[in-house]
Amino acid sequence: MEKFFNPKSVVIVGASNSSFNLGSTICNMLKDYLHYTGPVYTVNSKAETVNGCPGFSSVLDLPQTPDMAIIIVAARHVPGIIKDCAKKGIKRIVIESAGFAEDGQNGAAMQREIDEVARENGMRIMGPNCLGTLSTRDKFCSFYGVNPSLVEMNQIFETPGNISYIIQSGGVVVLVMESLYYDLVGINKVVSIGNKSDVDEADLIDYFQKDETEVIGIYLENVADGRKLMEAAQKSRKPILIYKVGRTPEGAMAAMSHTAGMASNDLIFESACKQAGIIRLNSINELHSLPKMFTEMPILKGNRVAMFTNSGAFGSIAADLLVDAGLQMVRLSGQTQDKLKKAGQVFNVKNPVDIGPAPPQTYLDIFEILLGADEVDGLLPLLSVWQTFVIDTLQELLKMCKHYDKPAAIYTPNAVAKSIAIRAKHRIPIFETPEQSVRALSVSHMFCESLRKRGFIGDHEKFENTDNRRIMKGTMEAAL
Amino acid sequence: MTKGNILKKEKITGEILSKAVQEGSQALSEYESKRIVANANVPVTREVLVHSREEAVSQAARIGFPVVLKGSDPALTHKTEMGMVRVNLKNDQDVARAYDELMDKGIHMEGILVQEMVKGNREFVIGLTRDPQFGPCVMFGIGGIFTEALKDVSFRVAPLTEEDAQEMIYEIKASRLLDAFRGESAVDEKVLVKALVGIGELGMRYDEIAEIDINPLIITEGKPVAVDALVILKTNRA
Repeated sequence: MEKFFNPKSVVIVGASNSSFNLGSTICNMLKDYLHYTGPVYTVNSKAETVNGCPGFSSVLDLPQTPDMAIIIVAARHVPGIIKDCAKKGIKRIVIESAGFAEDGQNGAAMQREIDEVARENGMRIMGPNCLGTLSTRDKFCSFYGVNPSLVEMNQIFETPGNISYIIQSGGVVVLVMESLYYDLVGINKVVSIGNKSDVDEADLIDYFQKDETEVIGIYLENVADGRKLMEAAQKSRKPILIYKVGRTPEGAMAAMSHTAGMASNDLIFESACKQAGIIRLNSINELHSLPKMFTEMPILKGNRVAMFTNSGAFGSIAADLLVDAGLQMVRLSGQTQDKLKKAGQVFNVKNPVDIGPAPPQTYLDIFEILLGADEVDGLLPLLSVWQTFVIDTLQELLKMCKHYDKPAAIYTPNAVAKSIAIRAKHRIPIFETPEQSVRALSVSHMFCESLRKRGFIGDHEKFENTDNRRIMKGTMEAAL
Repeated sequence: MTKGNILKKEKITGEILSKAVQEGSQALSEYESKRIVANANVPVTREVLVHSREEAVSQAARIGFPVVLKGSDPALTHKTEMGMVRVNLKNDQDVARAYDELMDKGIHMEGILVQEMVKGNREFVIGLTRDPQFGPCVMFGIGGIFTEALKDVSFRVAPLTEEDAQEMIYEIKASRLLDAFRGESAVDEKVLVKALVGIGELGMRYDEIAEIDINPLIITEGKPVAVDALVILKTNRA
């Protein structure tokens, strides 16, 4: 699998100098933009060189066996090319062409034909109908049609991160990559798997266990093999966030029983996620807004949250959200309240802790008191940046979170554009809405619960009362 | 439960299923369906399949009044709609009359089921279905006549751990019905968990079972009892 992301040599079948040729955009990306140093060959009818990549009329004529073939020609030519690749001994194929299983019976038959050749020859296939792979650390990308001059692309390769995406649609890939440009977390790898006739989401979850990936984000249109997906997810120590579309109408027409009549793909998928420890996302935006909670913060080990605000209104707003999410507004102990009283300028020493105009040290003292309190599992700071020092205190908060091994899901009640600018400039994981912050705490806690359930962490790391199933129930519902 | 006992139960389940498959049945009768789910740890009503009026009367007395009489046959999947159920039969005369009425319908039956009449205010459902991507899945929810109107159900992919079963029980919206309710004691959670795990195992082990409905599962003095069950087979469904 590794060589799908880091091939030392590539052939692009279908790249030519004709106008609007898609294959040549891959040559341009590799040569001009990524400065890919390995050999890039092209195969086209005229055997012409494309942007310095030597051309041949068949893969059989190549001077070497490349690590990977990228195929981007009309579907009807693909089975023949796969056979040539097999003869040449090429083991990894990315089929970007469309017109297979998604396109009726003929296409499905061709896809089966390809699968057979691949199986017989020990080849792995990505696609068809996909973009293939992108690896920021390997500076490799097989996507066609991407304009590398986009600033977003620049940033993505210059600052590799730890999130890897498995995405079934090219459009969603663009949305996620562009959005992360305005966030503070970066990409490790992106795979567009298309029809996934061979390599599927479960294979990639397995693969991402062994590399720099810290969070796995997935956009699915259909599940290839439900049980295989569950098995891969159950073994994953890294959080898996899935947004799945296709809430198909309930019940099969042929169902004879009430049970089959009430089952829907969506309900079953949701149950499977709970069983396998998969976090199911509520919106496509969560694919890029939530990962930072995992990469930048410790996980939320209990459900007791303390809020700290310099604007009372937001305390009330967030309190409602927190309860709806099944998290608990922690009741601060007398000892904690006494400490808060001494911190000064505190209007309310009960949760939510509310302060008036106060100097930076008061902010720092309160962070310390709350994170240090045994009864607090995590923090929800709702701090308007009314003075620039607030930014400095938030940076200190990040260190304290690491020290106390407790997370904070920061929300700054300022204009969203301002919050985003602060986040990008000062590298602070700020969420854009109070809803997002609460959701981040909720999924963090849910992930912790799933680690516990799957035996990755011991029961002693769970602080809340497990006997109270009502609370657990609320937590799960809200998180899903 | 001894190992010998388990093996014996599995043998009976296997025999019932292979016989039905050989005969080309689409479903099992209520009687056979219940034998199978009972072997999978779902408590079922005390009942006897009878073939004469005299037998019906004597078995009813043995089970204890009031009883229920139902026509039982693999083809009888909608007994209530077909008028093949008689409830609250309080004495020999009631049973004899009900027996004659059911026989007079002229519908083919493997026999008539004499069944204890279970009383309880809470009705749940347990089911099994097969998802094209995830395979056998177990359902739990609010049962009885409102099952499909309320659709208050939860699913888990089989096989289920006890924790899975516990979670799915409390996941339904009306999970409060599991607590002590209007003078009745809380539902025995352990029994429910064992039943759900058992149904999941049935789905994993027997490919010939396509779907199962256990509805209603009535709670009587805190204990769940399957009052009706339907096992649908995979054969002939292609």
